[in-house]
Amino acid sequence: MPLSGRRRTRYGDLALRGITGLAAVVLGLLMVLLVYEVGREAWPSIQEFGASFLTGTEWNAVTDVYGARDLIWGTLITSLGALLIAVPMSIAIGVFLSELAPRAIRTPVTMLVELLAAIPSVVLGLWGILIMGPFVAQHIEPFIIDHFGWIPFLDGYPSNQGLFMAILVLTIMVVPIVASVSRELFTNVPSDLKQGSLALGATRWEMVRSVMIPQVGGGLVAAVMLGFGRAIGEAIAVTQVIGGSNSRPDSLWGPADTMASRIAAQYAGTATHLQRASLAYLAVILLVFSLIVNLTAQLIAARMQRRMRGAA
Amino acid sequence: MEVLATLAAMLAIAVLAIVIISVAKKGLPALNADLFTQVTSTFGIPGEGGGIKNAIIGTLIMTAIATAISVPLGVLLAIFSSEFAPPRLAVVIRITLNVLAGVPTIVIGVFVFGLLVVGNGYSAYAAGVALSIVQLPVVARSTEEVLLLVPSSLREAGMALGASRARTVLTVILPTAVGGIVTATIVAVARAAGETAPLLFTTGIFANAVVTDPTKPMASIPLVIFQGSESPSPHDQEVAWAAALVLLVGVLIGSSLGRLLSLRSRRRIEQTR
Amino acid sequence: MQKLKSSALFAVVLAIVALAAACGSSGSSSSGSGGAAASNDKALNGAGSTLVAPLISQWAPDYASKAGVTITYGPVGSGGGIDAITNRTVDFGASDAPLSSDQATACKGCVQIPWALAATVVTYHVSGVPNKLKLTGDVLAKVFMGDITSWNDPAIKSLNPGVNLPGTHITPVYRSDGSGDSFVFSSYLSAVSPDWKSKVGASTQPSFPTGQGAEKNSGVAAAVQSTDGAIGYVAVSYIAADSLDEALIQNAAGSYPEPSTDAISAAAASATGIQPDGSIPLVNPPASAANAYPLSTYSYAIVPKQSPKAAALKKFFTYAVTDGQSFGPDLGFPALPSSVVSHDKQVIASIHP
Repeated sequence: MPLSGRRRTRYGDLALRGITGLAAVVLGLLMVLLVYEVGREAWPSIQEFGASFLTGTEWNAVTDVYGARDLIWGTLITSLGALLIAVPMSIAIGVFLSELAPRAIRTPVTMLVELLAAIPSVVLGLWGILIMGPFVAQHIEPFIIDHFGWIPFLDGYPSNQGLFMAILVLTIMVVPIVASVSRELFTNVPSDLKQGSLALGATRWEMVRSVMIPQVGGGLVAAVMLGFGRAIGEAIAVTQVIGGSNSRPDSLWGPADTMASRIAAQYAGTATHLQRASLAYLAVILLVFSLIVNLTAQLIAARMQRRMRGAA
Repeated sequence: MEVLATLAAMLAIAVLAIVIISVAKKGLPALNADLFTQVTSTFGIPGEGGGIKNAIIGTLIMTAIATAISVPLGVLLAIFSSEFAPPRLAVVIRITLNVLAGVPTIVIGVFVFGLLVVGNGYSAYAAGVALSIVQLPVVARSTEEVLLLVPSSLREAGMALGASRARTVLTVILPTAVGGIVTATIVAVARAAGETAPLLFTTGIFANAVVTDPTKPMASIPLVIFQGSESPSPHDQEVAWAAALVLLVGVLIGSSLGRLLSLRSRRRIEQTR
Repeated sequence: MQKLKSSALFAVVLAIVALAAACGSSGSSSSGSGGAAASNDKALNGAGSTLVAPLISQWAPDYASKAGVTITYGPVGSGGGIDAITNRTVDFGASDAPLSSDQATACKGCVQIPWALAATVVTYHVSGVPNKLKLTGDVLAKVFMGDITSWNDPAIKSLNPGVNLPGTHITPVYRSDGSGDSFVFSSYLSAVSPDWKSKVGASTQPSFPTGQGAEKNSGVAAAVQSTDGAIGYVAVSYIAADSLDEALIQNAAGSYPEPSTDAISAAAASATGIQPDGSIPLVNPPASAANAYPLSTYSYAIVPKQSPKAAALKKFFTYAVTDGQSFGPDLGFPALPSSVVSHDKQVIASIHP
């Protein structure tokens, strides 16, 4: 091979390696810049309030005092509430799609469930405000209030905006995420394990409970965490239905607010510089939350994969 | 137990169907020629505006800008990760992309706002950048998946013939993976078209006129839906439903197409083994 | 064959990038050629108050046909308008709330031009209750502080003797975004209720102790309309536009004027004068103004004294405070008093490039 050819190919290699490596550098820069910029915008508020921002309950543009406690509470209640409904539902759907459904409909139904995830959140919010909200407020909430109103948090006045609406909307967003992962996980459980358990006389449910779920346990946890991450970060659909209020509601039906929803509602028109910085502080908290949740999910998933590869 | 599981699956599909049917029911009546030929109107003046022409054009342009940034960047990233990076670095890149995918889009909006909008004003470019950040993990991860699917036998064949790494990648691996890259692009476009939070911070104030200059803010379909959803005027709501229908059809077709194509291209690559 | 495919791929990628770049450069060159001033003066961007948005919507097409300049306006709320002009992301801001001293400092040499006269109106939606319910400022404050929680509360009943009030729960609705209407509403309540003043105060974004928030006037109108028992406040044009029920608020003279253009003009006439910062507060006019509507307000255009688009802005503002006022009455905005118009002209004259 002529020497010139080899030199040419080495330059080609170098060039491609260089350009693609540059892309990796850009990614790294992007992440660093993201953290830096959001932190910089939040700095005045971090300086002013420090850690007490997390426990402060006032969000007042008049006195220029801001605290995120009620917002963190709102974020956690809506996300955990959504998980409470979504996780059992998703596991059930995963079982259905991997075990129970006739083979012919498995792929189409899977695609349909995953299509739920593709619905833009603003469309879900539009539907939530104008259709689901009134329906739930007129039929479902009064029913629950009448029959379960003796439970402290469940009494109150039906409303087509509020915590409950946000939970419902978030549930719709989380289900496809957790369901599609659990379906995949369940499908990959070695069939000899499943058959073995059934052969020993276990019912379907016992088999799922004692064989399938433990087998995929880690993966499920990772999926749930991903769903959780999605829920805490959702701003648009939540702000459309939660009725952004300043304080904790007395009941599940009252208006509330989450960190993401507060940012969406107030960022365009802040009254003071400190308010703008406090909204950025909320973004910092969200960033940290999402980082922790995401990295934990990835860690669990990686560990699970290692275990499965080891077992195979 | 079987009953519960089946019910759960049915419920999920029922919700999907209800949402799609509601959007269709409310959106179809408003789907007239006016919708596509008129521009948006802020305070519904009868006879003027009431359409979403500028929003459709705006979304197309901003999505195009975003895709033009995220696809080349994502493909290059995927090539680096699958071909050139030492294994540890590839893992770090993958973890980073997953982390980026998990960042709430509202935080990305705050980021781009501080970086590009303060002092410069709203612009379609800023929106494009924000959307491209959302798309990047989607493109890079899918492309890397497809690249890794290309059997190593092809790579080794290329190298054995004396071609450089670069040549192998460009002339053998990429063309094999092109189907997957196109799929990733389609999915990324569908994703970007539906995002609202990044737009709030980068093009939140727009003209009720067709704008094609990317240094200016543009109307967008998600923001029209967002604003219409909070309006008491039945006309605004009608326009929001119609816009939601347009968006939903586009996004669902794009996602489904993307998924079908990815299955097909995966099968084709496996056939080359 | 492979070579063709890969070249094709790169060609496509290059084409996309080139297209994007071409779009960008053609866009910027069209605004850069022929002197920046030429195309600059063909378009003005503004943002802010949703109260004045309906009026601006009438101005925009009219002004475009008269002067060939396109006005782009984003109704993001007064808070957003102040923010936008402070960050110079728009050419002018619009706010029903005048700049606070902090905001004035941050805006770096901005002037305020009262260019519309309007009012904030209390609206409610209770099935079985007729339009034009009577309320006092004190009762209103108690409702929004959560001290009065049902529509058949004795305090409300005593103000409306002939009306059959149901026991529906009251849901206060307020603006969650930075709002000039919030400023007017909370200023009024601060003026008439010492309790409100100490607990909540006046601001574009007061920390309402109870109730639910909605964005923009349209959001509040929508929320009130869809909730039985809701009460909120919106700008005057939204009442007619969305056929909302309005509450009559007792003024200092003891009467319950409707928020008509006459009542708003009466409030304007009773104003003590223009403040040093250029604002003219109208909330809670004195008892001498017998028929003044208590929640009246001016709406201000906020613009930096030094602006690259000074010429275009001056022409537009002059139009707004003179010819533009003719669109007002149909929307519920009385015309500006002539004294204010002369003041405005002086302020407009101080804008320079």
